[in-house]
Amino acid sequence: MADTVLIEINNLLKRYGDKAAVNNVSLQVRAGEVFGFLGPNGAGKTTTIKVIVGLLQPTAGTVKVAGYDVQTQPLPAKAASGYVPDTPNLYAKLTGRELLRFVGDLYDLDRKQVAQRTEELLQMFDLTAAADDTVDSYSHGMQQKTSLAAALMHDPKVLVLDEPTVGLDPKSARLIKDILRQMAERGAAIFLSTHILEIAERMCDRIGIINKGELIAVGTMEELRLLGKAGETSLEDIFLGLTGGAEEAEIAEILK
Amino acid sequence: MSTLTLAPSRRLWPAVWKLIRLRVLISFNTFKHSRTIRKIFIVVAYLALLAFAGLILFLSWRLLDFLRSPSLKQYVGMDVTPFLQAMPVIIFTGLFAGILLSSFGVLLQALYLSGDMDFLLASPVPIRAVFVTKLLQAVLPNFGLISLFGLPVLYGLGLAGNYNFLYYPLVLLTMVVLALAAAGLSALLVMLVARVFPARRVAEILGFVGAILAFTCGQSGNLFNTFGHSANVSGAQVSSMFTLVTRFNTPWFPLNWAGQGLVALGEGRWLTGSLLVVLTLGLSAVAFSFALATAERWYYTGWASMQVVSRRKKPLRTARLPVSSDAIHPNALFVVGASQGLKRLLTAPVWGILWKDFLLLRRDLRNLSQLISPLIFGVIYSIIFLRAGGQAPAGQGEAPDWFTSTFQSLMNYGNIIMALFVGWWLLARLSGMAFSSEGKNYWMLKAAPVRASQMLAAKFLVAYLPTMVLGVFFLGGISIIQKTPPVSFLYGLLAVAMSMAGMNGILLAFGVLGANFKWEDPRKMSAGQLGCLGQFLAMLYLPFAFLLFVGPVWLVPVFHLPPVAGYLGGIILGATITGCCAFLPPWLVRMRVERLGES
Repeated sequence: MADTVLIEINNLLKRYGDKAAVNNVSLQVRAGEVFGFLGPNGAGKTTTIKVIVGLLQPTAGTVKVAGYDVQTQPLPAKAASGYVPDTPNLYAKLTGRELLRFVGDLYDLDRKQVAQRTEELLQMFDLTAAADDTVDSYSHGMQQKTSLAAALMHDPKVLVLDEPTVGLDPKSARLIKDILRQMAERGAAIFLSTHILEIAERMCDRIGIINKGELIAVGTMEELRLLGKAGETSLEDIFLGLTGGAEEAEIAEILK
Repeated sequence: MSTLTLAPSRRLWPAVWKLIRLRVLISFNTFKHSRTIRKIFIVVAYLALLAFAGLILFLSWRLLDFLRSPSLKQYVGMDVTPFLQAMPVIIFTGLFAGILLSSFGVLLQALYLSGDMDFLLASPVPIRAVFVTKLLQAVLPNFGLISLFGLPVLYGLGLAGNYNFLYYPLVLLTMVVLALAAAGLSALLVMLVARVFPARRVAEILGFVGAILAFTCGQSGNLFNTFGHSANVSGAQVSSMFTLVTRFNTPWFPLNWAGQGLVALGEGRWLTGSLLVVLTLGLSAVAFSFALATAERWYYTGWASMQVVSRRKKPLRTARLPVSSDAIHPNALFVVGASQGLKRLLTAPVWGILWKDFLLLRRDLRNLSQLISPLIFGVIYSIIFLRAGGQAPAGQGEAPDWFTSTFQSLMNYGNIIMALFVGWWLLARLSGMAFSSEGKNYWMLKAAPVRASQMLAAKFLVAYLPTMVLGVFFLGGISIIQKTPPVSFLYGLLAVAMSMAGMNGILLAFGVLGANFKWEDPRKMSAGQLGCLGQFLAMLYLPFAFLLFVGPVWLVPVFHLPPVAGYLGGIILGATITGCCAFLPPWLVRMRVERLGES
């Protein structure tokens, strides 16, 4: 099972007018793997993620999720994946419970299964007390947790998360990390983008670094260390060395 | 420690000036970066407003000059001087009351629901400066609007009465001070309400009530005329109105002091005038200062209550469900059975979208106000139609006979026309905006394994089902009152159902083409230019669809055929073409649905 490729990106190109937001990106994520996707602001992380979950069509290249081409077989590809966006835009006037029920309907789940899964997820994310309040009364963290609960509703094989821990308290952030690790152990592929390098270093089996739309490094921490200069042992040093942020870091050090 | 850190200014007015400058800069940047056509439009609009103000000034001057002429009093026998002296009182009272009421909604948005309050409160700016700026920001549009009409009239009054030069700057000063005092009190009212109720909910209720009131007032004129009230005003009525206005000008009402004082100053009664104007300005300044000081204390309570999420403990829904079939009410069984039957016909995603959209339409009052308008409109026009006994209005009697008879024949189908017209109004919102209404949440549908055809089917039903309910309500109601034969009613029902379906298809397709997901307030959602084109086409389609069903029924007597042939012809012709309109446009745009939200 560990060799099964669940996310396969081949020569992905996405242009906005003349600008290539993602340029010739190719990578694979296997079952049971947590893949961290790093890059500076505007590097093309969110665009890549949106193509994987079928929110954007690529200009060229292919993306396969659970073996299904996202462009030619969108329905099975989408049915196999769950998505947590960077901003939890959820229907403000639905309650948390109604929102999860709605997601269950969208994924064509059995009604009894939806009811059972809803209660499990609400309990898991500590949302039971607020389950009958409308989403617009939720804090950012609660909305983020609701968004994650919605993504887990159909127990996806592939989970794609864009900055999942932003706005979460340490307890919730820890919970999410545990859930992702458990899902990976059960054979799911986790693809997450984050700016928190400590999370990437501790959680991810492999890491990809994207800069100016191009994938400049992919591998395990050990493999990335080999790519960096001598003495660059932490992910932060490697990241800054590869993306050209080392000079800015030095200036910041002088200003201290 | 960085040397860049400076002590923030604690002085009020420099901080106010900074915030106003920021607001001006934002407005200037918005203007600078807008399209040339928009820039030209804005400049022309402002010039037109100035010209309009000039016109009002000129007309007021000449009219008031005429009213003051001694010959008018001699011929008409009516002395209008007391009325003219009461005019500033009316304008200032109107200004105060207008600003007090109209600022409430604006201030609620500006103080509690605007995105910049967190930033402003966290910055080292005195909170009073923030309030003053917000008050000015809220009061300016309404002040401008009231001044556009009020200021030229007051200046016209001064010119016509040869008032003292002091009158003119003092009129402007008094207007500004009174407006600020009214806005300050309005801000207090906002904060008082926000302490008790969630600001967002208050804004929704206000929007709902405001829209319904505005619409009802707009349409009530038609109803007023229907009940036989004449729009012509008699001389006696004018006289009694003048008397009423004059009576209102008592010295005991503080709001009157401004107007009375200014008139006294203008006429050279210095002592009375100065006393009243100084008293008004002083009281306004006290009211404004009190509002500012109190607001500072009250604001945080209301703001803090917004940050705390209220939790009303509700019983779990599962607990409310009947546990056994014995406990189910027979009616509930019917409803559940019907809903289960509908569910079997629909796939889970279609059912899910349908259920979600109905919940959202019902819960967001800002949506609801748009949906209730057709109902009010329909009720008002049905009353007008029924009061006329289903007859065509006689008019001046100059129309040719063929026109009158055709118009009368058309009135026989008043029930269908009313149902179609109300339905068109509702469909324009529900179907035309079906996709735009998803807003920023559209990603949830797009990332889910839902076919474009399923989305289109769901959105079609979301618009169609309530429209049909409303259509049947009007068709049935008018048919019962008019004692329409059952066959005609059933035929009308089919005509309405099919015509609505066709119009729904057209509006839905254009709504897809112009879908716009970038909005914050549901009242500001739009289906773009293509959506407008759809509305226009739907407007042309409506009489066409009506004629498809009614035309054959009209024509059969000409060809000496039995009435049943007309009905049959109408069904074949109408159902075929409207059916095509229902299915073809959505089918043509199904590929576009898959690319929505990618721009």
